[in-house]
Amino acid sequence: MVQESLNVYDASLWLSGLRVTLFLLFVCSVLGTLFGAAMALARFYGVPLLAQICTVLGELLRNSPVIVQLLFVYFGIPMFFAVRISQIEAAIYVLTANTAAFMFVVCLSALRSVDEYQLNTARSFGLGEVKIFTRILAPQALIVALPMTIGVLVNQAQVTSLVSVIGVIDLTRVGHILNQKTFDPFTVWPIVGGSYLVLALSISFLGNKLEENIRRNSGALRECEARHDD
Amino acid sequence: MIEFDKVTKRYGYKTILDAIDLQIETGECLAILGGSGAGKSTIINCINGLVVPDGGDVRLDGLSVSHARQLAEIRKKCATVFQSFNLYPHLTNIENITLAPIEVLGVKKSEALSEAEKLLDSVGLAEHAHKYPAQLSGGQMQRVGICRALAMSPDYLLLDEVTSSLDPEMTAEVVEVLEQLALEGRTMVMVTHELVVASKIATRIIFLEEGKVIADENKNDFFSKEFSSANPRIRAFLHKSGEI
Repeated sequence: MVQESLNVYDASLWLSGLRVTLFLLFVCSVLGTLFGAAMALARFYGVPLLAQICTVLGELLRNSPVIVQLLFVYFGIPMFFAVRISQIEAAIYVLTANTAAFMFVVCLSALRSVDEYQLNTARSFGLGEVKIFTRILAPQALIVALPMTIGVLVNQAQVTSLVSVIGVIDLTRVGHILNQKTFDPFTVWPIVGGSYLVLALSISFLGNKLEENIRRNSGALRECEARHDD
Repeated sequence: MIEFDKVTKRYGYKTILDAIDLQIETGECLAILGGSGAGKSTIINCINGLVVPDGGDVRLDGLSVSHARQLAEIRKKCATVFQSFNLYPHLTNIENITLAPIEVLGVKKSEALSEAEKLLDSVGLAEHAHKYPAQLSGGQMQRVGICRALAMSPDYLLLDEVTSSLDPEMTAEVVEVLEQLALEGRTMVMVTHELVVASKIATRIIFLEEGKVIADENKNDFFSKEFSSANPRIRAFLHKSGEI
């Protein structure tokens, strides 16, 4: 039987879908950023073997469709290794790995953006590599990495919608369910699409605020302002 | 004393330093002259350990740059001022100066700050202490670079073309500071293209050509007519530099 319009039950279904999307985005963004940063450090400092593994892994993950990765992990891995993987677990593994692959590139380019001469200068003054990282490299790389990170996370918010193909009841899957119930795509999909839009804009807004805050505290923004004053 | 014992450095097929033997005594102010690519900056970077020689050894007060622990001690004894300043842009000028003394020498922050203020005052930059490097002119940035090196209380000051990227006015500002340091009897090793700078500050001059020391004279002898007459390469260099 076709339902004539959306009701309160549908709103709670939408909320549960939103919760799953937010959960996936948060967990995979945090884990992916940590793994991506670790991979970038391994590559930047040329850790033998690990640097090469990270590079190959990053290329594989960035250059293959996320939907293929999801189907491979959800259907392929359990069959090959005789293990059970739930839909949400498969989604977390794939989205984390995918985010890590993009964050690897972001963090690596941010680290490489810091002038090598500054690092050599610090070495010539006797600073150790850890101090050089914490006092010179990381503060400058962070400012470079932040806008790109925001871009990656906004993109990953859209990518989470792909997990619906393996049966995770996220926002997109809820959209399918509501569409089948109401046959009203002109109401259902704008609501679902609008939800992703609000999510993406919220990430951009919070990211920009954070960037502004970091720049102000690190002095870079004050430096620019002072130059404008001059 | 800084000693170069048959130091060789190659980049690919090009030999930058060719079995260099050199001794720099304490209190001496040595200027290293030569054309581009002659290996001048490589000599400085062999002393501070940024360049590892392919052959031979560099020793500073008996400590060898080839041993990691001894290199760490060497880096506490010598400080380098670079051509392109290499100040840390996210730190204020005073933070640039105090970073290494606090982190490497273990100086208390309050003491390091007080010393840095004195140094900045001595080069006429006291009011710029809490500004960022990008807010300064080239000459001012280089003076902060000199302060950063002096804050380490180095026994040896290494100057790598410190005036090359400055205009004449800014060069004069920096030379004034270096002249004062030379008068204090500080041991300095200076790479420069500018003969005026070398003639004002150095006590001894060496001339490098294709990785070899082809002249090693005290300043007055180096600029004498007799010496340049007897050395066509030096005469050509001085002539092109407008000195004769």
